[in-house]
Amino acid sequence: MTAQELRRDRRAILAAWAALSAATVLAWLLSPGESQTDTTLGNELVAAVVVLALIKCRLIIRYFMEVRHAPRWLRLATDAWLAVLWLTLFITYLV
Amino acid sequence: MTTAPPPARRRLPGDVDMWVMILGDLFFFGCYFVTYMVFRALSAEEFAAAQRHLNVGIGVANTVVLLTSSLFAALAVLAVREDAWRKARGLLLAAGACGALFTVIKVYEWYAKIGEGHTIEDEFFSFYYVLTGVHLVHVLLGLLVLGIGVRELRASGRRRPTIVEQSVLLWHMIDLLWVVIFALLYLMG
Repeated sequence: MTAQELRRDRRAILAAWAALSAATVLAWLLSPGESQTDTTLGNELVAAVVVLALIKCRLIIRYFMEVRHAPRWLRLATDAWLAVLWLTLFITYLV
Repeated sequence: MTTAPPPARRRLPGDVDMWVMILGDLFFFGCYFVTYMVFRALSAEEFAAAQRHLNVGIGVANTVVLLTSSLFAALAVLAVREDAWRKARGLLLAAGACGALFTVIKVYEWYAKIGEGHTIEDEFFSFYYVLTGVHLVHVLLGLLVLGIGVRELRASGRRRPTIVEQSVLLWHMIDLLWVVIFALLYLMG
């Protein structure tokens, strides 16, 4: 690995951490408890929480776990896990 | 998102055995999460009412602590690749310290909730204690594995970068699972 690649990876990891922390605080501000919304009115907010959590999971997998450099099968397997999990959770919430 | 690197840089982080374990663990936790949501759907009002007793601020604090721990661990892997062994060891120890802080906050939260009378007699809290409990066992196991990484960096002449890489991968998986637990238990009220 060249010094340039290491610098680039370090910047990417720091940016991922900043985005993850910001998304955590944003989801907190949006969560039904904070926005004083009734649970039955909160579907859009819950959708926002779900999307933010999905993005956070993918950032951890891609940047911290370095799956962005990994072979295709691993990128597909982790994305399949994310897609099936969050789709199932969201549908279960709505039904 | 950055553009995909050229195929020449494609490589498996860690090794296949570790990924079999990680994907297996993700599958089983996925089953726990779906089970929780099904039970939640069956008594949505009771779950929502019980959920309001959780302190979201504590959940946020613990999430940021674990994300920061993962940051240190990821930087440790880059330090190993630069042959900066001492720096890598310091970063792994910092990651472990954040993991220990997570454990302390979690135990305090349990202590407070039990003190308020929220026990496993309540369906939501039974899920809360089992999900966070199984996760906490993973945190303790992860700390042990990070310790193996630190030991690897201490012994001169026996420094295998892949051992550090594997221990850090497991640690990131624990962080990943917490992010899902945090969203389900604390935020999706």
